[in-house]
Amino acid sequence: MPSPLWHDPAVEFLNFVLIFAAGYLVLRRPERERLAFRLLVASSVLMAVLFLIGARGSILPGLNY
Amino acid sequence: MAPRGRLYTPLTLAVLALVIGPIGIAVFVLGFVHGDSPCVLCWAQRTGMVLIALTGLFVIRFGPRPRYIGLAVLLAAFGIYMGLRHSSLHLWRDVGQGFSAEIFGAHTYTWSMFIYWVSVVMMGALLLMLKDGEAGGEARRLRPLERATLWLFLLAAAGNAVQAFASTGPPPYMGQGDPVRFSFNPAHWVWSLEEWQPAPISLRGRWAIEKPDVGRASAEPAANPLANVPVLPALRRATMALPLDGPITDLAYNEATDRFLVTTEKGIYITDGAFSRVLRHTVIDTMFSVDLARLAAGTFLGPDTVLAVSENKSYVVLRESDRADAAANYRYFLASFDKFDEVARSRFTTVRAKMMYVMAVAFDPETASIFTMTVPNAKARRLVVSRFDRRDMTLSEEFTPELAPGSGLAFKAKDGSLDAFYVSGAAFRGGRIHAISAAHGTLLTIDPATRTVTSARAIPGLDRPVGLAIKGDEAFIVDAAGRLTVVKWGQVQ
Repeated sequence: MPSPLWHDPAVEFLNFVLIFAAGYLVLRRPERERLAFRLLVASSVLMAVLFLIGARGSILPGLNY
Repeated sequence: MAPRGRLYTPLTLAVLALVIGPIGIAVFVLGFVHGDSPCVLCWAQRTGMVLIALTGLFVIRFGPRPRYIGLAVLLAAFGIYMGLRHSSLHLWRDVGQGFSAEIFGAHTYTWSMFIYWVSVVMMGALLLMLKDGEAGGEARRLRPLERATLWLFLLAAAGNAVQAFASTGPPPYMGQGDPVRFSFNPAHWVWSLEEWQPAPISLRGRWAIEKPDVGRASAEPAANPLANVPVLPALRRATMALPLDGPITDLAYNEATDRFLVTTEKGIYITDGAFSRVLRHTVIDTMFSVDLARLAAGTFLGPDTVLAVSENKSYVVLRESDRADAAANYRYFLASFDKFDEVARSRFTTVRAKMMYVMAVAFDPETASIFTMTVPNAKARRLVVSRFDRRDMTLSEEFTPELAPGSGLAFKAKDGSLDAFYVSGAAFRGGRIHAISAAHGTLLTIDPATRTVTSARAIPGLDRPVGLAIKGDEAFIVDAAGRLTVVKWGQVQ
């Protein structure tokens, strides 16, 4: 159950909220391009981190090395 | 000058295809209709596609700025890695086996590799359409198709957010390795913190297995898992004085010609029956065609044919020849090119013994069976005997031997196991496999018909032996330095 990680934002749901916000800014508030792009970069990093957490047991693809 | 329709129309169509296809179908059809739930890796792969689509929308809205293109390339590159990494989890399964839903006969996680690859191709094609000076630009007024694409994107992102909330939960919960099917009913929602549990970080994961080494075996006789193992004293001890190219890795004997086979990590040596001289030898180019790594075991398949097996279960079959073509053999050997012909070089495939190395091989000419035995490693501790048919070098059966009832053998501890042995040499005689263990200096006799260990003998004074050969009623046990211990084989049965 909840741990000190409560405040860690690294989850898929939150990532889609960020993506939605970035898309909304692109559509309705193009003057906020810098913020929208920062959200896009943050989401990208978050996505990569989430994948690497799930893949940390074997970072490289599982081939017969 | 900003690029016009020649860039934005195909880009908009590409983003639209991405939004409607893999992103939209995944959430609305597979997810909401069929209950498919992405695992933690699938979520990241899907998110990556959403981000590539969003980057495309940035270009549509603000023009092809360099940082958008750079990010899109990074996302697609990481996406290809994700597709490879995830698909590799299921690479060695059988046809149709996999995880989660299929699209056109292929599981979803395998599609991502293709989609990311197409994204890279699309980016390259669109960049080719750009003219000098067109990179960058101001915010554009969206055309109807572009506006509709953005709305659809927001709808797909919202749909994914809904599914992500139900399937993975709010922070700090995150995706699961084996998620339950999607449901709109909160009673069925499972939110998990399993992925946050501490876990070792590894580059090669389950493929990171230490190479076999008899030095890792416990030579301590007292640690023998078997109770009251009878002692088989040495008849005599001697040391080989042969000109070999390195430490010995195995030993075998051929009765018809009264000759021994001695292997080193790369070398094949045929000696006389007294180990007084090398009659014929060659050194294998272990890097040619098949990675033979280190030769760990050898046996005679006939009076003039030898088999050498590598620790990784690759093998080479050589036939003695006095008329071998030295020029043709350059590719196979590193020295002594005209003494053998190479008959075959390939790999044994195993099932139970997979992910374990071997250091012992034995051949039964009556049934044309080749036996290998595994050595334990940190990830898999099992003594597996694999039998291959000599005629096609294909796996015929595998078993993990047990103690034969009525043999008088018993484990000291309740959880005792034969897996504690480190079989590094073997020979076949009298319908039995005789195996020497570098751990605890024990000679085991295995009956392949009953798949049991019928006898065990502790041999004092052994220092991590690597090979075993039986000549007449004597068993020759050798270590890497060439020190021989001879015991009365007749007492082993």
